[in-house]
Amino acid sequence: MENIDAARLQMAFTLIFHIVFACIGMVMPFFMVVSHKKWLNTRNPIYLTLTKSWQKGVAIFFVTGAVSGTALSFELGLLWPEFMKHAGPIIGMPFSLEGAAFFVEALALGFYLYGWKRIPEKFHWFTGIIVGVSGVMSGILVVSANAWMNAPSGFDYIDGEFLNIDPVKALLNPAWFTQALHMTLAAFTATGFAVAGIHAYQVYKKRNVELHKKAFKIAITFAAVAAMLQPLSGDLSAKDIAKRQPVKLAAMEAHYETKKGAPLYIGGIVDSAKQEVNYKIEIPNALSFLAFGDFNAEVKGLNDFPKDEQPNVAMVHYAFQTMVGLGSLLMLAGIIFFVAKFKKKSWFDLPKFWLLFSLLAPMGFIALEAGWIVTEVGRQPWIIHNIMKTKDAVTPMPGIVFSLYIYIAVYTILTIAVTWLMARQIKFLNSIKIDQA
Amino acid sequence: MIYVVLAFLAVSLLLYVLLAGADFGAGIIELFSSKENQAINKKTVYQVMGPVWEANHIWIIILIVILWIAFPHYYNILVLALHIPLTLVLLGITLRGVAFVFRYYDAYKDSSQILYDWMFKTSSLVTPIFLGLTMGGVVSGDIINPSQMEQHSFLEVYVHSWLNVFSILTGFFYAALCAFLASVFLIGEVDDFSKTMYMRKASIATIVVVSLGFITLLYGYFTNITFVVDFIGNIYSISAIILSGILLFPLWQSIKTGRRIISRALAGLQIFLILFAATITHFPNILFTTTGSISILEQPVPDSVMNVLGISLLIGGFLIIPGLFHLLKSFKLIKILER
Repeated sequence: MENIDAARLQMAFTLIFHIVFACIGMVMPFFMVVSHKKWLNTRNPIYLTLTKSWQKGVAIFFVTGAVSGTALSFELGLLWPEFMKHAGPIIGMPFSLEGAAFFVEALALGFYLYGWKRIPEKFHWFTGIIVGVSGVMSGILVVSANAWMNAPSGFDYIDGEFLNIDPVKALLNPAWFTQALHMTLAAFTATGFAVAGIHAYQVYKKRNVELHKKAFKIAITFAAVAAMLQPLSGDLSAKDIAKRQPVKLAAMEAHYETKKGAPLYIGGIVDSAKQEVNYKIEIPNALSFLAFGDFNAEVKGLNDFPKDEQPNVAMVHYAFQTMVGLGSLLMLAGIIFFVAKFKKKSWFDLPKFWLLFSLLAPMGFIALEAGWIVTEVGRQPWIIHNIMKTKDAVTPMPGIVFSLYIYIAVYTILTIAVTWLMARQIKFLNSIKIDQA
Repeated sequence: MIYVVLAFLAVSLLLYVLLAGADFGAGIIELFSSKENQAINKKTVYQVMGPVWEANHIWIIILIVILWIAFPHYYNILVLALHIPLTLVLLGITLRGVAFVFRYYDAYKDSSQILYDWMFKTSSLVTPIFLGLTMGGVVSGDIINPSQMEQHSFLEVYVHSWLNVFSILTGFFYAALCAFLASVFLIGEVDDFSKTMYMRKASIATIVVVSLGFITLLYGYFTNITFVVDFIGNIYSISAIILSGILLFPLWQSIKTGRRIISRALAGLQIFLILFAATITHFPNILFTTTGSISILEQPVPDSVMNVLGISLLIGGFLIIPGLFHLLKSFKLIKILER
């Protein structure tokens, strides 16, 4: 394996894991404080048990998120030294602010976890809110740094030098808002459906039903709202990409020839050699409309760009289809939940209802990972869009493939361990009897 | 503004070496304890370090971020030449953090605890050794300047820079220092019975730290490592290091008389003096290659970057430091009330 491929795989691998851990660590505190609030209001011990068991989940995922994040902060420099040498000072601001937000989160979590019966009740609850808010802040800041790679700004690139650096402008680059919005909603959708799915399965299996139903309702409410807002945010992102990274949009849609009134392809198999998409569903003029809000607008095709500046079309196209497909599915599930809640309370008694949501548990995260594949693979061959190529940024140290193997081994073990730990938490939760007050 | 940034860099380094050091040390003590004492230590670590241990480890992220933003040229050499030990440090930090949470948050306390404990203890020892190796590598003078890397072999560029006797000695020195810090910090937190145990650990750690420090310096001096020779010749460095040695006497006095605030302050001061001694000798040149030393201030970033970073750090500091203080105070106060 070439060094650059090993480095890219290692980065992709660590990011894929970190994103899951980080999202859960960022969103679960919100579920936790809602349940905590209900405990304070109703003094129903079920909510206390639920809060405490979610808090353990938060602690475990916070730490795995934090250590995999520490690893990433090193890997940026270790794997891409040339990138960090130039980009580090420019995108330093989101990272230094993220460090601060993360610190606040760690402090607040210290108060929250160890504060039961030791600090005033309301303040204790409030520290939980700080955990959640600072977690979301961290996420937004890191995404802003990634957005800068798609929309480099805040400097002048003259003769291979980065001059007139303006870190604030780099932080508020043109892509930061659309990306941060899309990612925050995705985090709530993915974590919400995952948590709701796990509890739905317990209800389906008739274990500790009352508690798991309450847990399900808290998680799914967040998830359903986020899933229903996501298409709007996706539309903003698509229009933004059409303007700034037309080649990425073309790859997402496997759109080869520049055309006015371009059609939208749903599904299909990409034949890169013949530059065709087979077995697709074609909606006339839809791509032009989605990208520019005009059915007859011209959409640039891949052939307008040099071959060595195109990403892997098939991979980006499939990832994009997966993301949109699963996103739509989850939005539908969100609607089903709201219908059940407000119109058809009887649905909550149907085993099928709970089975459906159990099956949806992993879908949010699969969509989220697919979305990141679209963003990252779609930016290739650039590490900084139109400025620096990934191959020019990689470390000169040979043998990165060994480091890749170690990371794969460690992260695989970590994932198995965390999954096993969560299963034990649920088993434990089901084994305790709650006294109704 | 560069001084604000340098100050934050120095403070983060000091706090990381001190607080994360004590954290690592607690694991090292557990590794070298009888079964019975291991159980005591496990409980103490949870009570004392539980609320703050996450915060302790964030200092290294702050440190890295400051380095890459404000001193990218310097950081670039570090990540190239010390890629391997830094990766090993990372793995250590990962395994240790995970083991820490697993052993306290697993829903069932069964035989899997044996695995978590083992992971926690060994990574507590290995991680500071590699951290020390990295620090030793920075000053050992075996790093190849990136501009000349192509003329050297893989081993010379990526391995010899840190895998040398001096760096290894530094690695063990730092691990011993961690054990020393942990035992001094933990003495003040336990009942009389456990206190005797920690005092015994502290005295062993003191002996090991002093002898390893002495051996490391002697080795460096006799093999003509530029950094060490100049270190011993520099009046500030040598006085700082001697002073830090002398402070051991009042430190032990305060431990015996049970004045825990003073004993901790003294231990902190010692670490400060050691880091001060190590950096002052050649400041701002704190990286040594085979062809001379490199200044951290080389090829500075533009003022716009430095100013924004300085302001961000100041704002962050105002948010974080009172919170950290309050966190420490809250849980300390509660402890005293409980008694």
